[in-house]
Amino acid sequence: MSSSNILGAVLGASLSFALLTSGPALAAGSHGGGHGMHDMKIGKPGDPAKVSRTIEITMYDNYYEPESLDIKEGETIRFVVRNAGEFVHEFNIATAAMHEAHRPEMMMMMEHGVLEPDRINLEAAKAMQASMGHGMHDEANSVLLEPGKSGEIVWTFPKHADLEFACNVPGHYETGMHGKVKLSH
Amino acid sequence: MTIGLLRRAFLLGAGLAAALSGAATAGEYSLTVDPVTVDTGAFTRTGIGYNGATPGPVLRFQEGEDVTIKVTNNLSEPTSIHWHGLILPFEQDGVPGISYDGIAPGETFTYRFPITQSGTYWFHSHSGFQEPDGAYGAIVIEPKKREPFRYDREYVIQLTDAHPHSGDRIMRNLKMMPDYYNRQQRTLFDFLKDSKEMGLDAALSERGAWGDMRMMPTDIEDLQGFTPLINGKSSAQNWTGLFTPGERVRLRFINSSAMTYFDIRIPGLKMTVVQADGNNVLPVPVDEFRIAVAETYDVLIQPKEDKPYAIFAESMGRTSSVRGTLATAEGMKGDIPDLRKPPLLTMADMGMAHEGMDHGSMNMSGDTHTMPDGSTMKGMDHSTMNMSGGTHKMPDGSTMKGMDHSTMNMGSSDPFYAPGSGLMPAAANGGKFLSYNDLRTQKPLYPHREATREIELRLTGNMERYMWSINGIKYADAEPIRLQYGERVRFKFVNETMMTHPMHLHGMWSILDTGKGKWNPVKHVVSVAPGTTLFMETEVDAPGQWAFHCHLSYHADSGMFRKVIVEGGPEGKAAALPVKTEG
Repeated sequence: MSSSNILGAVLGASLSFALLTSGPALAAGSHGGGHGMHDMKIGKPGDPAKVSRTIEITMYDNYYEPESLDIKEGETIRFVVRNAGEFVHEFNIATAAMHEAHRPEMMMMMEHGVLEPDRINLEAAKAMQASMGHGMHDEANSVLLEPGKSGEIVWTFPKHADLEFACNVPGHYETGMHGKVKLSH
Repeated sequence: MTIGLLRRAFLLGAGLAAALSGAATAGEYSLTVDPVTVDTGAFTRTGIGYNGATPGPVLRFQEGEDVTIKVTNNLSEPTSIHWHGLILPFEQDGVPGISYDGIAPGETFTYRFPITQSGTYWFHSHSGFQEPDGAYGAIVIEPKKREPFRYDREYVIQLTDAHPHSGDRIMRNLKMMPDYYNRQQRTLFDFLKDSKEMGLDAALSERGAWGDMRMMPTDIEDLQGFTPLINGKSSAQNWTGLFTPGERVRLRFINSSAMTYFDIRIPGLKMTVVQADGNNVLPVPVDEFRIAVAETYDVLIQPKEDKPYAIFAESMGRTSSVRGTLATAEGMKGDIPDLRKPPLLTMADMGMAHEGMDHGSMNMSGDTHTMPDGSTMKGMDHSTMNMSGGTHKMPDGSTMKGMDHSTMNMGSSDPFYAPGSGLMPAAANGGKFLSYNDLRTQKPLYPHREATREIELRLTGNMERYMWSINGIKYADAEPIRLQYGERVRFKFVNETMMTHPMHLHGMWSILDTGKGKWNPVKHVVSVAPGTTLFMETEVDAPGQWAFHCHLSYHADSGMFRKVIVEGGPEGKAAALPVKTEG
C-alpha cells in the first residue's frame, strides 16, 4: 500500500463525534440519529472472504458515477471508491434519516476548519478534539476522501432496507450528491 | 404587467433558445426597445420594455458561443443595453459615454461578443432612468461542463420595484426634498419615547448626531411607495411556478430593482445557495438571504409536499413585499406572511460605534471578524472561550469588558454589518441567514496573490441635497480611476453614509475579501453596509474603459459613479481604445 493509500485509508474513516458537549439537544440529535455501525438495519461490515463482486464508485463535484446501485439482499460488496473531483467527498451507506442526522456533524467539522473544501485538516481535527473533548471514531459504512484519493469499503447488505449512498459534506447532499440502493431477491 | 404580456415574454425567450439549439456556437438574437404598459394591479403607467414586455425575455446563451444581438430602439429617446456581469470587450458593454455613443431613436445597433462564462445574469438600459422604468431582462448561460449540482427544473425569479412615478419625476422630487418618499419619519412622539427610555440628554445628543449626518434612523429606503414584483407580477397577480413533489428546483434570483434590497425566504423550505453573481459557490443551506440591488443568487430547493409554497421577498426597510408561489397546480397561492417590524438605523450605522462597541451583537460564529476600521480579528478560538464571565479575553491578550451575553445572538450576527447595526439580518424562523462570510468560490478564477496596490474609495453623500459621491466628489467633477493592465488592485470601500451601497465594477470581476484567501467569492456587485469598511480585489485583465458605480439608480445618477480606464494590455485590444481626452 502506498503512502497516499494509507492516508486515504486513515481519512477513509468518517470522522464523527461520539459525544457532543455543547448541548443536550445536539448530543441527542447526533447519536439519536444513529450511526451506522450499531444499526443492523442498514447491514454490517463485510467479510472480505465473502465478497461476491467489486463495484467501482467515482466521486465527482458533486455527483457519483454510477448514480444508483442494484444489490442483491444479503450480498457482500467491495466498493472501490475514487474521488475524481476537486473537493472532499464522502461515500456513506445509510438511510436517508441517518444521513440527515449526520449532516450537522459534518457542518461542525467544516466550521472548525477540519473539513476544508479540498482537504482534510488533520491538525485542526486534533485541535478540535483537544479543545472540545470530542472523540472521533471510524465508521465502516463510509469513506471520506480528499481529491485524488481512493478508499475501500466491504459491506454486507441486509434483506430489507431503504438505503441511500450519499455525501454529507455541507451542501453536497442538498445539491444532489446521493443515490438509491435498490435491494432485490 | 398583464398575464398575456408575461406569457409572451416567456415564449419569446423560449423561442430564442429554440432557434438557437443546433447553432450553439454563433447565436443571433433580436431585441426591440419599446414603450410598454406597466400594470402592477396597484397602478398602471407607461414604461419601457423589450420585445413589447417588461421584464424583457430571458436570453439563453451557451458558454463558448459567439452572440450577435440586434437591438432596435423604438423609443423617441436614445437608449442602451448593458449586459450586467458579462465579461466582454469594452465597446460591447453598453454604457453611453464610456463604451459607445448609445443607440439613437430608430437606430438598430448590433452587439457582437463571445460568451466566456456561465450562470445567471441580466441586462438593462444604462441610459437615464429607463431601467427603473422597466428596461431589464434576464440572461441564463448554460455551462460547457456538467454543473456541480442536479436539478429537475428551473425558474428565473426577477425582482423589481415598480414605482407609480417615472424615474425622472422621482429624481426631481428627491432633489427638491430628499425625504419626499420616506413615509417613516420620526415624530415628536418618537422623541418623547426616546427621552423616556434613554434620558433627555442622551436623546437630544443622538438627535444632534443624526442631524449632523443629515439623516434619520429611518433612512433605509430613500425611495418608498413602490410595488415589488416577481417576474413582473405583484403579490395579488401571484407569479406561479409549477413543481412535482420531490423534484429539485433551481431558482435563479435576480434583483433588478432600482433601489430596493430584498430579504427572501420560502417558508417551510431550506434553500441551498449554489451560485452568487453567476459564479458557483460551495453550497450553503440557508433559511433566508438578502439580495442587494443588481446581485444574483441561485438556490436549489426540494419541495416534497403537494401544497403551495410562498416565495416571499420582503424589502429591507420592511415597507413592502411580494409573494410568488411554487405550486403543484395553477391557481394555488402560498400564504403571505406579515411584514416584520421596520428596522431603525443605529449609532453603529452612523459609524459612531467604533469606540465602546456594543459587543453584545458581535459575531461569534465566523472565523474572521471585520472591524469597522477595516482591521480583522482572525481565528477566534471559541472552543476555549469563557462565556460565563463578564470579561472576555481576546486572542491578542486584550480584554473586552462587560459583554452582555443576554443579548448575544450567536446565530444571526453578520460581520459584514457594523456591530450593533439596525440592519443586521436575522432569519424569520430563527434559522440560518446567508452572510457574505459564507460564500466560498467553488473554483477560484485567478491564482491567489498579493494585491499590487490599494485604492481607497470613501462612499460619501449629502442627504440634504440628495447628492451622492465618491471621496466627496461627484462623477461630473471627478478624474477617471486609472488602472494598469496586469495589476491586481485592492479596493477599500469606506462607507461614510448611512445607506447601503451595492458597488458594481463593469468588465472585470470583483473578488470580495472575506478572509478566505483563494476561496474568496468572485462577484460583480459588492454591497457595503453603513459604518463598515469592505475590501475587494480586481485582477486588471480587461483593457479599455469601464463604468464603476453604486447600482442604486438615483445614487449612480447623482454622482456615486466613476469611469475606470485600464491602460496598457495586449496590442490588439489596447489599440481599440479611443485616444480622446477624458472629461
